[in-house]
Amino acid sequence: MKTFSFEVFSGGTVMFDHDVCARCETKACVVVCNQPNLACVLELKDNLPALRVTPEEAKSGGCIECLACELDCQTKGLGGVTFALPMPELDAHLEASAREGRTPGFRQK
Amino acid sequence: MARLVEHQGKRLLAKAGIAVPKSAVAKSPDEAAAAAAKLGYPVALKAQVPSGGRGKAGGILFAADEAELRANAAQLFGRKFHNYAVAELLVEEKLDIRGELYVAVISDPTRRAPAILFSQSGGVEVEGALESGGFVSETVDILRGVPPHVGVNLVRKTGIPSRLMAPLGRVIASLYKVYRDNDCTLAEINPLAITSKGVVALDARIEVDDDSVFRHPELGIQRSLEVGDRLPTALERIAARIDEKDHRGSTHFIQVDPDGAVAKAQGKISIGFDGVGTGVSLAAMDELVPLGFFPRNFCDTSGNPTGSKLYRITRVILAQEDIEGYVFISCLSSQQLDNTARGLIKAFKEIYPDGEPNFPCVFCFRGAWDDDALAMMAEHGVTKSRWVRTLGRDATERDVAVAFRDLHAAWRRERARA
Repeated sequence: MKTFSFEVFSGGTVMFDHDVCARCETKACVVVCNQPNLACVLELKDNLPALRVTPEEAKSGGCIECLACELDCQTKGLGGVTFALPMPELDAHLEASAREGRTPGFRQK
Repeated sequence: MARLVEHQGKRLLAKAGIAVPKSAVAKSPDEAAAAAAKLGYPVALKAQVPSGGRGKAGGILFAADEAELRANAAQLFGRKFHNYAVAELLVEEKLDIRGELYVAVISDPTRRAPAILFSQSGGVEVEGALESGGFVSETVDILRGVPPHVGVNLVRKTGIPSRLMAPLGRVIASLYKVYRDNDCTLAEINPLAITSKGVVALDARIEVDDDSVFRHPELGIQRSLEVGDRLPTALERIAARIDEKDHRGSTHFIQVDPDGAVAKAQGKISIGFDGVGTGVSLAAMDELVPLGFFPRNFCDTSGNPTGSKLYRITRVILAQEDIEGYVFISCLSSQQLDNTARGLIKAFKEIYPDGEPNFPCVFCFRGAWDDDALAMMAEHGVTKSRWVRTLGRDATERDVAVAFRDLHAAWRRERARA
């Protein structure tokens, strides 16, 4: 799998599966990113999504973490974009809660 | 407010060259006894809680021997001062005190600068001295800082004996260094004791600017905004990490009823809550409570936060236990609600991949890009569930509360049938 990724300011990673992107006809991620009210950090290079700024610029706030690339890819593209936003402390808290037999609200029956 | 406890503050004072009594931190009566044996009796036992008024409330006791120490330590451990349970005592040598002074460096919004306050009336009655004008003050030019002569000139105004002027000038200069180096909003010594060994800081109150806590990992502050007189909950600490280094909008999250005790006592139903703007949040909560719902948390996701912030805080809100619903409401503002909606959508799609929340959820988008937000909610299938209701810019806070009540009633009926 050919992937392209960059990091964002808040501690996350945007990943593009270029094998999927190559088959995508809409390139919805690039289209939405270049809306006037969004970050405009993506462009097409060799018909694949790429950064028009440096990875450092993207990580220092150039990417405004609107999540539009991922969400528009889900509805208008082929699902090749993943916006990973880890929350290790929350995950650890939920695991600890589960061990103690406590259930978070979203898992309540 | 990021406030250090006494022993943490005193460590900063000592590092800056201010004399502090010999001491040790104890987490049990046995540890306290061992510490006192090393320090020598008599000793002071001081409850380590991040709140004021500790002395008047009986949080400082003395011991002349081991029997008295064990009795007093047992009395202090487990007590609560302003909702803080005592888990640590500072065991401190008892000094021969000949006088008590007060000195502080504060961030003074009226001067738009730091200010040094000094009073000859230190100790538990200092509030009276400060209120009656019994102090002198000096505005600090932050470009010049506070060389020792600034403090000397200040204390001279009080008529303090000349032999104390030089040491006090040095203490004030050092206290200002603590204030600046640690991005404080307050660095206070009360009392600053005059002893046979010179001037000694008997207490330390250090408050670090919330927005600067991330610069000081060495202080070990578990940051959480505005939780009041208690320690932050696990979820509050997790939520505080979202804003810690990222000031693009806010995600102020406070569990107003962490364990649901208030809701239970009032016969109300706990729910998760998020509002764009403090005012609208309070107004919406005021409408929800009379209808039988008690938001377990207050949350203000305003100032145009990123979609990623909304995603993270929504995961935190929905992780609260024993909630029976979720309400999101925005105020009419310039906040880009399309980005707000994207964060909510990503969280809901990940938490509920089948598109079916396990309790009623009401979303109200009012303001910039509200139509886009509503369209996206539908496009991503969040609104297809019968337990999701969306409202737009014509809805009032009352409408939102009523919509939630009706949805919750239907959800309850179905659960009862099942």
